[in-house]
Amino acid sequence: MFAGRPRLATVLIPTVTLFALLGLWQLADSLFQFNRIILPSPAEIGAAFIANYLVLFKETGITLIESVAGFLLGGIAAYLLAIAFVHSRTAQQAIYPYAVALKSTPLIAIAPLLVLWFGNGMLSKVVMSALVAFFPILVNAVSGLSAVDREAIDLMKSLSASRWQVLTRIRVPNSLPYLFASLKIASSMAVVGAVIGEFTGSTEGIGHLITSSSYYLETPLMFAAIVMISVAGILFFWLMVYLERKVVFWQEPV
Amino acid sequence: MIEVSEISKTFTSSSRQVNALDRISFSVPGRDFVSIIGPSGCGKSTLLKIIGDIIEPSFGSITVDGVPSREARLKGMFSFVFQNPVLLPWRTVIDNVRLPLEILHRNGRDASALLDLVGLHGLEHQYPSELSGGMQHRVALARALTFDPRILLMDEPFSAVDEFTRDILNVELLRIWQEIGVTIFFITHSISEAVFLSDRVLLLSGRPARVKQFRSIPFARPRDNSLKDSQEFQEVVKCLREDLG
Repeated sequence: MFAGRPRLATVLIPTVTLFALLGLWQLADSLFQFNRIILPSPAEIGAAFIANYLVLFKETGITLIESVAGFLLGGIAAYLLAIAFVHSRTAQQAIYPYAVALKSTPLIAIAPLLVLWFGNGMLSKVVMSALVAFFPILVNAVSGLSAVDREAIDLMKSLSASRWQVLTRIRVPNSLPYLFASLKIASSMAVVGAVIGEFTGSTEGIGHLITSSSYYLETPLMFAAIVMISVAGILFFWLMVYLERKVVFWQEPV
Repeated sequence: MIEVSEISKTFTSSSRQVNALDRISFSVPGRDFVSIIGPSGCGKSTLLKIIGDIIEPSFGSITVDGVPSREARLKGMFSFVFQNPVLLPWRTVIDNVRLPLEILHRNGRDASALLDLVGLHGLEHQYPSELSGGMQHRVALARALTFDPRILLMDEPFSAVDEFTRDILNVELLRIWQEIGVTIFFITHSISEAVFLSDRVLLLSGRPARVKQFRSIPFARPRDNSLKDSQEFQEVVKCLREDLG
């Protein structure tokens, strides 16, 4: 789907759908006169966006910085741990079950704890993002680093290759298709993590803007904020898709 | 001279022990082409991996010109060619061929010249996925030769390609072998392929594998595919087949 240059139709058709739906929405609004607090019209949301665009960009930027920082932190930690697991069965047996158990814990349940520990600034959101990004990356990195051709390992053994050489020449490149499959998932989840962190306790960020506009019943602004953060999430995801195509050039995406 | 003496291998799993190899002994002068045949699952691959010191025997020892196989491996004397070409898809052809040199920190043969030798002139910068199956096997052969190994250990190397391509690759292998002078151990399940290629054929029995026959194949070299039609050739094949059955 993403292979090659995107054709005009793949951009044009969904854009037409979008404007058709917005038009319908606007039309329905002028016919039925929905309550603005419950459902503002696209025009009102647009107006709220224009009136508040500086704030919207600033808050989205903050959330995006938290998400990307958490994503990198969680990703690097997960990949290093995966390398340790592949080289030490004992480490894997000792830690992996608890990693999986922690994964099953609902994130919302620990969000207040993180705010308590790391304050209501950016750090608690970065940690939150890192935690959500961590698990999918860990699981896929372990698979990718282990799923190496038996004969490739025999080949390296016959050359008396060191573990480091096997890691850098075979395991790491072999893990990249798996890694990018998880990076695409983790990029979206990191944004979710940061926003949940902001809901729990914050003074800035798009999550904060959404909660505060709900207190003041500024529903059009709330909609504008939701649109902003989903666009930011989509761009983050597309960046991963783009990098995947550049880095894992030898294989179709997993 | 490669001396294999009294090699036995027992695999132990939690439930039982399996004797794979039972006191295998033979010796081969340098630069010979030796084929190993035997019933499938008899332990041919295990024997080959023990010779190349990537698995350890339960008993017995192997020496290459008096040097233990462990030391020979560390010196980069062994080179494997497997059933699959095992090329790294993220490396170009020439970088695949150079891989052993990177691992061994050694300057070997010129990779481009080797690609010419295996008939892949001008394909240095292609990726493996751009090559046909037969070409990928040629790359694997070039990679196996870059570091000037003394002994080439080939485990059914061309069994995954069609028969026509396999015949061509076998003739090329003979040409290359005569040109560079290595010892080749070659596992195959085709008796006629073994007879056609080899100076000697090692015939193993079923589990546990023992040496059933170790016979010289006298036909003059260079050989070509017409040899396969001759009376003498057919007789050697027949004799081996009867012994295998």
